[in-house]
Amino acid sequence: MDFVQNLPFISILLSLFSGPLSSILNAKWAKRVNATVISVIGIFSATVLFYVLRTGQEFVYLMGHFPAPWGNEIRVGILEAFMATFFCLIMLLCMFGGIAEREREIEESKQNLYYIMVNLLLSSLLALIYTNDLFTAYVFVEINTISACGLIMIRQNGRTIEAATRYMIMSLLGSGLLLLGICFLYDLTGHLLMSNIKEEVAILAATGEYHIPLLVSLGLMSVGLAIKSALYPFHAWLPDAYGYSTVSSAAILSSLVSKGYIFLLVKIFYRVIGFSVVCDSKVVDVLFVFGIIGMIMGSVNAIRESDIRRMIAFSSVAQIGYIYMGFGLGTQEAVVASVYHVLSHAATKSLLFVAASGITDASGGSRNFLDLTGAGYRNKAAGIAFSVGSLSMVGIPMFSGFISKLLFAQAAMGHTHKMLPTLIALAISTVLNAVYFMKTVIRLYTPVSKEMPIHEHRVIPLTEQPVKAGALLCFIVLNFLLGLNSEPVIRLITAGLAMFD
Amino acid sequence: MREWLLLAVILIPFAVAVLIPLLPFRSRNGMLLFMEAGVLLNSILVFVLLSLHPEQALTVFRFTGNLSITLKADGVGSLYAALVAALWPFAMLYSFEYMKHEHNEKSFFLFYVVTYGVTLGVAFSENILTMYFFFEMLSLITLPLVMHTRTREAILASRTYLYYMLGGAAFAFIGVIFILTYGSTSSFVAGGVLDPAGLGGRMELTEIVFVLCFLGVAVKTAVWPFSSWLPKAGVAPTPVTALLHAVAVVNTGAFAAMRVTYFSFGTKLLRSTAAQRLLMGLVLFTIVYGCSRALKETHIKRRLAWSTVSNLSYILFGIVMMTPAGLAAGLAHMLFHSVMKICSFFCAGAVMHQSGKSYIHELDGFGRKMPKVFCSFTISSFALMGVPGLCGFVSKWNLAKAALQTQDAMAVAGIAALMISALLTAIYMLTIVVRAFFPGREFEYGKLGDLKDPGWMMLLPLFVFVIAMFVFGLHSGPVIRMLEQITAGIQ
Amino acid sequence: MKEWILISVILPAVMGVCLLLASFAENVKRSETVNRKNRRRDRQTGEQGTQFGLHCFVGIVLALSVAITFFTAYGGEKSLVLFPLVDGIPVAFRTDDLSCFFVTIVGIVWLCAGVYSFRYMSHEGDEKRFYGFYLLLYGVLCGLCFSANLVTMYLFYELMTLTSMPLVLHNGSREAIMASLKYLFYSMCGAYAGLFGIFFLNRYCDTLDFVAGGSLNMTTVSGQEEMLLVAVFVMLLGFGAKAGLFPMHAWLPAAHPVAPSPASAVLSGVIVKFGVFAMIRTVFYVVGPAFLRGTWVQYAWMTLALLTVFMGSMLAFGEPVLKKRLAYSTVSQISYILFGLSLLTPTAFSGALLHTAVHAFVKCGLFLTAGVWIWQSGLTRVEELRGIGRKMPVLLWGYTVLSLALVGIPPTGGFLSKWYLAQGAVQSQTGVFRLMGPAVLLVSALLTAGYLFPITMNGFFPGKTQDGSQPPQRKDPPAGMLVPVLLLALAAVLLGVIPGPVTKYIADIAALVCR
Repeated sequence: MDFVQNLPFISILLSLFSGPLSSILNAKWAKRVNATVISVIGIFSATVLFYVLRTGQEFVYLMGHFPAPWGNEIRVGILEAFMATFFCLIMLLCMFGGIAEREREIEESKQNLYYIMVNLLLSSLLALIYTNDLFTAYVFVEINTISACGLIMIRQNGRTIEAATRYMIMSLLGSGLLLLGICFLYDLTGHLLMSNIKEEVAILAATGEYHIPLLVSLGLMSVGLAIKSALYPFHAWLPDAYGYSTVSSAAILSSLVSKGYIFLLVKIFYRVIGFSVVCDSKVVDVLFVFGIIGMIMGSVNAIRESDIRRMIAFSSVAQIGYIYMGFGLGTQEAVVASVYHVLSHAATKSLLFVAASGITDASGGSRNFLDLTGAGYRNKAAGIAFSVGSLSMVGIPMFSGFISKLLFAQAAMGHTHKMLPTLIALAISTVLNAVYFMKTVIRLYTPVSKEMPIHEHRVIPLTEQPVKAGALLCFIVLNFLLGLNSEPVIRLITAGLAMFD
Repeated sequence: MREWLLLAVILIPFAVAVLIPLLPFRSRNGMLLFMEAGVLLNSILVFVLLSLHPEQALTVFRFTGNLSITLKADGVGSLYAALVAALWPFAMLYSFEYMKHEHNEKSFFLFYVVTYGVTLGVAFSENILTMYFFFEMLSLITLPLVMHTRTREAILASRTYLYYMLGGAAFAFIGVIFILTYGSTSSFVAGGVLDPAGLGGRMELTEIVFVLCFLGVAVKTAVWPFSSWLPKAGVAPTPVTALLHAVAVVNTGAFAAMRVTYFSFGTKLLRSTAAQRLLMGLVLFTIVYGCSRALKETHIKRRLAWSTVSNLSYILFGIVMMTPAGLAAGLAHMLFHSVMKICSFFCAGAVMHQSGKSYIHELDGFGRKMPKVFCSFTISSFALMGVPGLCGFVSKWNLAKAALQTQDAMAVAGIAALMISALLTAIYMLTIVVRAFFPGREFEYGKLGDLKDPGWMMLLPLFVFVIAMFVFGLHSGPVIRMLEQITAGIQ
Repeated sequence: MKEWILISVILPAVMGVCLLLASFAENVKRSETVNRKNRRRDRQTGEQGTQFGLHCFVGIVLALSVAITFFTAYGGEKSLVLFPLVDGIPVAFRTDDLSCFFVTIVGIVWLCAGVYSFRYMSHEGDEKRFYGFYLLLYGVLCGLCFSANLVTMYLFYELMTLTSMPLVLHNGSREAIMASLKYLFYSMCGAYAGLFGIFFLNRYCDTLDFVAGGSLNMTTVSGQEEMLLVAVFVMLLGFGAKAGLFPMHAWLPAAHPVAPSPASAVLSGVIVKFGVFAMIRTVFYVVGPAFLRGTWVQYAWMTLALLTVFMGSMLAFGEPVLKKRLAYSTVSQISYILFGLSLLTPTAFSGALLHTAVHAFVKCGLFLTAGVWIWQSGLTRVEELRGIGRKMPVLLWGYTVLSLALVGIPPTGGFLSKWYLAQGAVQSQTGVFRLMGPAVLLVSALLTAGYLFPITMNGFFPGKTQDGSQPPQRKDPPAGMLVPVLLLALAAVLLGVIPGPVTKYIADIAALVCR
């Protein structure tokens, strides 16, 4: 066994234990530890990725060398390693991008707590990505939820407490449903290890026995994860949670936490149930419908919003809708598109959140739409970054959003019935995205007129927040990379998904 | 090697634009000279390129798989490029004088020059994705030009502008994807790339997608019900309204519609389907609707903008006839309308620049004070109305002739629409002319003060366009023959 | 020497443009002197000398051009092809019998009205502009007459509208401008309707050149007859706008009263005839009467014409303003001609052409007469003209003769033309119209008498003057104004007294085209 195969496990443990370590450090050191840990794990994951790419096959890592069904397995393929790398990168950039806000908005004494939460979150995300055990996944889903709650609540004002409570309730509902689903599945198959379940499910599906319970279990798990990742009708917790928490929390939550659940869902589809079984069930149709409704309604809500952060949060609802629509199409290409969109949305949304914080900084902390007038001139880096993010969201060629739109549309083409609804929904959603994002961009570049009540506008030169500017630059580059050089990424995803089967 | 010129002419404007804020110009004239030289050089290069006639395509960049940014100069593309290249230096010259009193002219010129490159990009697109790419870019690059004055009105207009543009592109995207999936190739091939057998009996679907796609690109051409952005965008400085919203941007829409219809979906498939009828109905309605809105409008630029709406649908009318003759007629109108409308817009701009007046009822007696401008305006009005001997008549004639050849009742109704529109054009243009030249017996010329014709930089383009109108009108044979040659192979 | 055609078109046009440029430059210079009083004085001092020079210039140019035109027209058949305008169809000229006939009318009327306007226009101001457009219009009309195909004709038809409009708005008052716009838009509407038809004819005819009897290609037409009929009907309606045919006649009563009298005279005498001319060219030289005979288009055309005849007369009868009354009368009289054409028989065609000539002279004369009264005493309404015969007996005699000709009392030309018209109607195979036509013409003639003669009667026999003042002094208008009126009256009478050459000339044309 190569040493590299230990790295995923080491990564999980590293992030898990750096949490307690941070609790005895002061804020400054905790920050450094955190950054180091994320970077190191990122490097680890990248190494794993190269290893998997070189060997060309996934590997299973038995914890303590106990074979199934007693032991716990980690299973690493191309997609897992890639996701882990990508998540680390995004997380690092989010943390860098929100330094100033964190230091301002969070009490000094609680800052190291924040880093504990982030470390825990990372470890749970990694576990969700790597684990081959359904119950382990559930456990880390809960850890994920709790740490996410902490991230929301740590900026203490009334709204975050409320938001965290809401988030907690909805998330627990989701986890409950997930747990129920897992129980059903355990009952049906007698296994918790994904690969084993899949074999049993294949037999059940072939014989047609226990059709309904299987469907129910799949439905429960899908809905549970859908709630947790804020698919449209279950999105009530999201705007407040993203809108009022500190910026790095919002960025991490929107780009990573919900995506972790989505990735888990992909794993459940592919590695637990088997994709062909999923496609035959009605669950995909339900997801498709809700996905499309989410695409439209999320944007409609965003248009009505006058708070820039909440607007971006609502846009997340719409983007999650895209992803579920991709699942709903139920083809391999569509899932590739969805996974690609997970990446592109993660890169873009965190960029938008970080840029939005820069913009609000330049407008006296106000997030009201009107107060942002001319902010693009005051904070040039944030203005440009926000424009790039918006263009990507609208799906302009050269930016990452375009490629995911392209992939979705191409995937839809193969479908007889779902083709036209998908295409039209994509078009309408593009229009709606354009409405609120471009409206904001234009607002950012509107000069302040005399009549407007002067808010505490402040010019933020590039040198004032070099770290944030650097993070924004990285985000922009990432966005362009995904948009202009998408082919390798798509090949990775396709290869990774192929390994799932 | 010749192929690299394709990329060069697109990139040179970008380079010029980037250098505008970077180079330390001692005086305004230095900057202007630099820009004019750059644009002129580019235009010359375009014509050199067209004369070299490169056969090969040039792949600049690959997205994924068969999706690539590829450039090629084919017949219609060259035609469009030539049109753009011929007009841009003059428009540039005009805008030098026009922008003298506007603030922030550097950023204006920057985007103005870049647009040149992007428009050429549309013209030289070899495949549908490349066209889509430049198409979207055009929407975005022109946005700062629309909101140039940064007034409240301009901001609102630019918003509408962008919504329409991006929305249109979003629907065009459906068609792009459709072609990418079902087409035998994504390149533009005369006669279309869809194979009826490959569609597997999904004809209805194809029609729906075609309609969506056509309307999507035709948003740029301001077809009803997507026409209201164009008059609103008139808040931009006149060089923008004249060159972009009467020529470059809107013709790009028509050009893209032509590409989609003749080179991607293929007219064989679409001729005499419900899709064609629907589109023709919309186009004909727009022809009349645009004119009647122009009639009601009292702001001179908005009136001209509504007139543009109507005239652009002439081009689309030619295109949706789905015959080579129709296409040739549409392209002819594209050429001629560009000259006529840019001229009338420049006149309107000259009036606004010299006097600050922009409503028609304020133009009493201007003809005597600004004779050169208003003579040009009168001639362009006559041309728009379709007085024989000027170019507007030629394109009307060809459109009607092509419509009659189709033997289609709707196309024949189109001739009636053309005539109604011509009448309305006469009304809304000549009321301005009469007002300017015959303000009435009691009119006190002293009120106008020392109003006079603008300087040579504004007048020269006007004269050139007026001459062009006469030349095209009296000697249209070569142009029409060339268009027939270009379109001959396209079924 | 086929270039003479071009010269006869270009010479007056170029001279006109020169005058216009001069006038424009003068106006620009004048408007630059802001002080108004200075302007007045300059104008009065410099006026007399330049005016005489201007009149000489215009007179010479006009006479020369008319001479050249007549020389061109009667110096044998010529044709001249210039460059191709559109679609390979060239701008081409040809002198055939019909164009000679019309160009003669134009020349005579233009000379008379021109001489008349020397005096008349001196109180209207801006003479240079007036003469500029007057000459330009003459050139355009020559081009229109001599045009050899439909496209050339359309070109000059549009130019005619555009160049005649400034004559209407000459005095620059608000009503004049509105009326001229009305005139412009009606004419444009008509022209575009005509163009609509030309598109169809371009497809269904072998050639758009004028060929007596038409050049319709029956093989292409077969199956599309109905569409072509609609197109031809639209064309007739379109050209009818210029000729004041019923649904599009409203510009006439608006434009005539506000225009200077020489302008109304040529407008009513000549310009409206070119609506007729265009119809003749279309129906008899391109489509061919055979295609229309017996179709609904013929009947609709006839019905509209008769309707207009009657309606025009009725409106004229009730109209108190003299120039408006004459305008309505024009509406009615032109439709006589149209009725004659719509019958599609040689006799009626001859009658129509003859009536064209008669009406041109008469109506021009009548408008000039009305102009004199306006010029000399500002009288515009009919009841103000009571006793005018005492003041200007010679003029009123002229007026009376002209009226007689219009009503159609022998031995004037009007009698002859109406005779032919009625005869043509009776001979034709048009069912109920055979009798209805002549009946309507008769009723309309009575109405014509009813609205024209009271002026004569009240003019010579005013009855008791209400205020009992002295009978007015005899004060004949100057010869420059009187002579043209009398000449026109003479022409109208001569057409009836020695009709031989003219009727023969016309009958030849009619025989040729009505196959």
